[in-house]
Amino acid sequence: MTNNSPVRKVIIIPCSGIGKTYGSVSRESAYEVVENLRPEKTCLVALSLLVMGDKEAHEMMTEHPTITIDGCKLACATKMARASGGMVIKDYAVLDVYRRYRQYKPQGIAELNEGGIQLAHALAEEIALTVDSLTTTNDSSSLKGRAGVDGG
Amino acid sequence: MVEYLQTTVGKFLFKVAVDRYYSNDGIWVLREGDQCRLGISDFLQQRSGDVAFIEVKPEGTKVSSGDEFVVIETIKVNISLASPITGTIVTINPLLTTTPEIINQDPFGAGWLVIIKALDWESDHKCLLEPNAYFLRMKAQAEEAAR
Repeated sequence: MTNNSPVRKVIIIPCSGIGKTYGSVSRESAYEVVENLRPEKTCLVALSLLVMGDKEAHEMMTEHPTITIDGCKLACATKMARASGGMVIKDYAVLDVYRRYRQYKPQGIAELNEGGIQLAHALAEEIALTVDSLTTTNDSSSLKGRAGVDGG
Repeated sequence: MVEYLQTTVGKFLFKVAVDRYYSNDGIWVLREGDQCRLGISDFLQQRSGDVAFIEVKPEGTKVSSGDEFVVIETIKVNISLASPITGTIVTINPLLTTTPEIINQDPFGAGWLVIIKALDWESDHKCLLEPNAYFLRMKAQAEEAAR
């Protein structure tokens, strides 16, 4: 990646908290971004691959900016991404997003309720805009300068 | 400097500040002259989960012991809490609106809920637990939940 080349792909890493409502919201929003909203600009990396030391996943982390989506304050996705050498440009916390969209109260685990689906959609739309801002810049060095400073 | 009783149950550490009284539900009461500052215990905040929203009865509201005075919505549950004090709510913690997570971060300090001008402290006081008594109750509840 040269300083004047646009970012080609943004890595999305959601929470891996299985059995947690907010973890489910984080994953649903990640799927929506990667599969529907910005498939050509994003790539999903499973947190478990980083935990297990997957070589390919680690290499991707060092080559592309990353957006993390945490389901709780433990912030496993963000911590693991950073520990893996990733450049975390933006870390979203589902609870913070819910505070902005109180009308979408998430419930359910394996199957989210309507509020959870709507919250995931709202979060996905925010992430998509962040992806756009990253992939349209002509100065990737500015991304490095911002790494890890934005809260969700 | 506040001192604490503390115990570890499973992977969780629970603290009980020794300078105040407690209701059975886990609301702490710190007497300040004729006023009482109220908040929730460390155990209650940990058991309830990360706080999303808090709704407190407005300043000026008269509450009797047992009346609901706050509803806390967390990522796990909605909890309605009853005031252990009879009196008038005179101050609401302004941080509850802007940073509700302060309850999780500092339940015995900056995460206080309200200040109530007490009308009948002597009666209310008899229904409150000393720190040691609440500590034993809380520990039993934590151990029961861990089973």
